[in-house]
Amino acid sequence: MRRAAAALVATVAGVIWLVTFKVTPHARLPVSAPAPSTTPAAVAAASEGGGATPAPSRPPATPTPAPRVANGSFTGSDVPTPYGDVQVRLTVAGGRVTDVVALQMPSDRARSEEITQYVTPVLRSEAIQAQSARIDIISGATFTSEAYAESLDAALRQDHLA
Amino acid sequence: MPVTIDVRDANVDRTAVDVVFAELARIDRLCSTHGAGSEVSRIVRGELRSEDAHPDVRAVLELCLRYELETSGWFSARIRGRLDPTGLVKGWAIGRAGAVLERWGARRFFVDAGGDVLARGDRGDGRPWRVGIRHPVERSCVVRVVLAGDLAVATSGTYEKGGHVLDPHTGLPAEGLVSATVAGPDIVTADVYATAVLAKGPAGLALVEALAGYEAYVIRPDLRASWTSGFDGLCGPPG
Repeated sequence: MRRAAAALVATVAGVIWLVTFKVTPHARLPVSAPAPSTTPAAVAAASEGGGATPAPSRPPATPTPAPRVANGSFTGSDVPTPYGDVQVRLTVAGGRVTDVVALQMPSDRARSEEITQYVTPVLRSEAIQAQSARIDIISGATFTSEAYAESLDAALRQDHLA
Repeated sequence: MPVTIDVRDANVDRTAVDVVFAELARIDRLCSTHGAGSEVSRIVRGELRSEDAHPDVRAVLELCLRYELETSGWFSARIRGRLDPTGLVKGWAIGRAGAVLERWGARRFFVDAGGDVLARGDRGDGRPWRVGIRHPVERSCVVRVVLAGDLAVATSGTYEKGGHVLDPHTGLPAEGLVSATVAGPDIVTADVYATAVLAKGPAGLALVEALAGYEAYVIRPDLRASWTSGFDGLCGPPG
């Protein structure tokens, strides 16, 4: 089904990204400013690992020396949004953010769940259930294409039509 | 392979079911790649030009081409250079079976062939048909129950024979999913997209998300499932 809320999704996506960088500063770490236009002032509380040491890296692109961020994983604080709490974990390698994993995404309302699903579809999943449900029909893979043709022959012969 | 037909209308002559099987046999004679004398087999061997073939064969081949374009090649009747429309013929045959039943006045029925289901109306007691999606490992269990009025539910999977659905772009077995189910108004479309999604893998869910009126449910090898945004609305509770 097509989603008509593209504009709202883009807005929320922007909000979520912006929010990820609002963290409770225990120790503010200076951050090099590569691509992200949000130019985060502080990446994350140093909740993991000890003190951060600047990661040696290639010379900065800007004339003024850019601060460096330590490599590792950093968990952002739990940030409330109009749609629910957001919390993400950043992975930094080589002075750049290489991965962002959503630890908490809004899901307490149908609408936010819809938006969340659109923004991060990989999170919408479940471990499948094994149910002995009352059913009329089963839809499931049964045979290969070739076996289908062969079996249809046999089935039709059994039904005394051949 | 069992072809199951269940008609709940009390006033439909049961001869209709015989006519359905005769129609399925006719389609098989024309389109089976297993039978050496079928028109499709003769086309594959270069003994018959497709433009000289039976109108039904031409219709099938045209549909194959249309869906190949529509799915960007994730469904294809041409794999490793060989023509094989069987993936589309199954859904097409089920659709023809449904048309025969409707011509005979049936309004509450299902046709189930090779794991693809065409449902019409209801079970006869006012309640919707309950279509279970088979669990890939627990053979006697289902993972979801789809409630069907007028609905087609097609499932493509690798858990029975493994590796029979090929990625048309590489010719190699598709590996990202063990099962892909597509539900929607048309059985051919559902059948084709179930195959296309299975070939493409988890990212194939987007193919159906973009297809108005259709929903999909896919299962990965680790037995985690994902689904399109409207799929939950098709399901009923278990039990």
